[in-house]
Amino acid sequence: MSGTNANSHLERELAAKRKKKIVKTVQYTLAIIVTLIVMFPLYWMLSSSVKSQEEILLLKPTLWPKEIHLENYANVFNRINFGKYYYNTIVMTAGILISQIITGVFAAYGFSKGKFKGQNLCFMIVLGALMIPIQVTFIPIYIMCANWGLSDTFLGLILPECISPYYIFMLRQTFMAIDDSYIDAAKVDGLGRVGVITKILTPMCKSTLFTTTLVTFTNGWNSYFWPKIIAKNEQRRVLTVGLAQLKNTFAGQATMNNHEIMAGAVMAIFPVVILFFVFQKYMLTGYSKAAMK
Amino acid sequence: MEKKPFLKPRTVSAVKDFVCVLPALVFLAIFTYYPICKLIQISFTDWNLLNDRWSYVGLKNWIWLFNGSGTKHLLNSLKVTILYSIGELTITLVGGLIFALIFNRMNAAFSFMRAVVFVPKYVAMSSAAVVFLWILNTDNGILNYFITSLGLPAVDWLGNRNTALLSVLLLTGWRAVGYGMMIYLSAMIGISKDYYEAAALDGATAVQRFWKITIPMLSPTTLFLFVTTFISSMKVFQSVDILTRGGPYRSTEVFVYKIYLYAMEDFRMDRASVIAIAFFVLLLAITASTFKISNSSVHYDS
Repeated sequence: MSGTNANSHLERELAAKRKKKIVKTVQYTLAIIVTLIVMFPLYWMLSSSVKSQEEILLLKPTLWPKEIHLENYANVFNRINFGKYYYNTIVMTAGILISQIITGVFAAYGFSKGKFKGQNLCFMIVLGALMIPIQVTFIPIYIMCANWGLSDTFLGLILPECISPYYIFMLRQTFMAIDDSYIDAAKVDGLGRVGVITKILTPMCKSTLFTTTLVTFTNGWNSYFWPKIIAKNEQRRVLTVGLAQLKNTFAGQATMNNHEIMAGAVMAIFPVVILFFVFQKYMLTGYSKAAMK
Repeated sequence: MEKKPFLKPRTVSAVKDFVCVLPALVFLAIFTYYPICKLIQISFTDWNLLNDRWSYVGLKNWIWLFNGSGTKHLLNSLKVTILYSIGELTITLVGGLIFALIFNRMNAAFSFMRAVVFVPKYVAMSSAAVVFLWILNTDNGILNYFITSLGLPAVDWLGNRNTALLSVLLLTGWRAVGYGMMIYLSAMIGISKDYYEAAALDGATAVQRFWKITIPMLSPTTLFLFVTTFISSMKVFQSVDILTRGGPYRSTEVFVYKIYLYAMEDFRMDRASVIAIAFFVLLLAITASTFKISNSSVHYDS
């Protein structure tokens, strides 16, 4: 009697184990298939970028390039002002980052640790701005910037983006969590507001500051809508806009030069993708922190 | 003898605190709130950038939009934008959740695969768009190569009004689905194991546990994703601009693209302004109604 009991028990355990193994196999298979599909456009970008022109025009596409043509990358710089676009993007992104960090940190301090009449009302003004996207207000902003002579200038690219209500909001939430006693102690030691911000609050909130700044960086680097409107000319065109116009520079023969367009696309995303793999952990928390609020 | 300060220390401190937030307020006044007012003003004029002067024309633009030749454009943009939003919401929420279930295993291989699925979010839309233009190309694109090698006819993905919006969604969905997955996964990890163990003891199957525990516990996350994706999908511009330019036959002419066309290509600031205001009111209405939903139907773990 007890023998059969032990047997059926063993059988049940085996069945459970087998079931677990099947689930595991199915999960691995699905995950690998999905990953390959999602990865494909990136792979296709990379592999097309090193093919020769004859090869990309073959009616039967080759999955793996027959020969590696790295000169495609150099050709992009000859065809268009790619170096200039790169430079413009870097300066614009740096300008947006620096101004958003400085104004953001100070405003967040004022809203979290400061005390003045009308504080709540002022904060509502900041929160309200979150609901007014530039896609709605770009017409008057464009007219304003054009009147100020800011078309095709770095200032024109940066100015409308130089304060982010989102950045202020995120930092304020983080600063709120820090106990006032740290700040009072620092003030007793003779630190002013700037000292409190740079020596106490900023170091204590390093990780949030870093993740929020990463989000700001990628948003700046990848921005398209406003740069397209304010910097139409070659002089201050940024990468995202230049790349989109690369397909037009060959006068309807985009397919003919897709190997070079892909080389441009690879170079445009390079810095952000590298940052992503280096700071993967932070990249997610930057977003999921916003999700918790 | 001690000097009497001109202002009380507390007042000085309050002023200094206010100065910290002042730049942000001034900036938002100039670049966010003033433009909204200006937009309303422009909507009552006949401002065309090609002309030197403009004058007030009363409600003419508003009548054009709601009871004139502009109405069909407004309705078309509304339809296209809503269709697009539904598509992106489905991909981000349903696709994201399915992906989260598939990739919910904590080891190095899965961590790498998750990174690969998530990385498109960081690929600049313009780079992604030119790759999709290449993949979806009618004559040389690899997608049509696969389709025709299966014996099916080639599809003019971007040139056909039935597939153009779908193609745009393919691109934005590719960038969004990994993000949905990551947000869902980080929320799933936060669900206490106790619930599942208790349910398993009661004999609940895996499917029952998913519907009765996972889904309700994820509802705050779902709401967050729903609200943010809905609002951001309403503002879609770049993918449309690069892939289809609103065409064919206006089948991808979303709101922001329509506003952009009127303002930056026709230079009709007056018409662009009325549509922009209508769009803004729509955004506010959506935000307000989603917050209403959030107060009534979301389950928070206490």
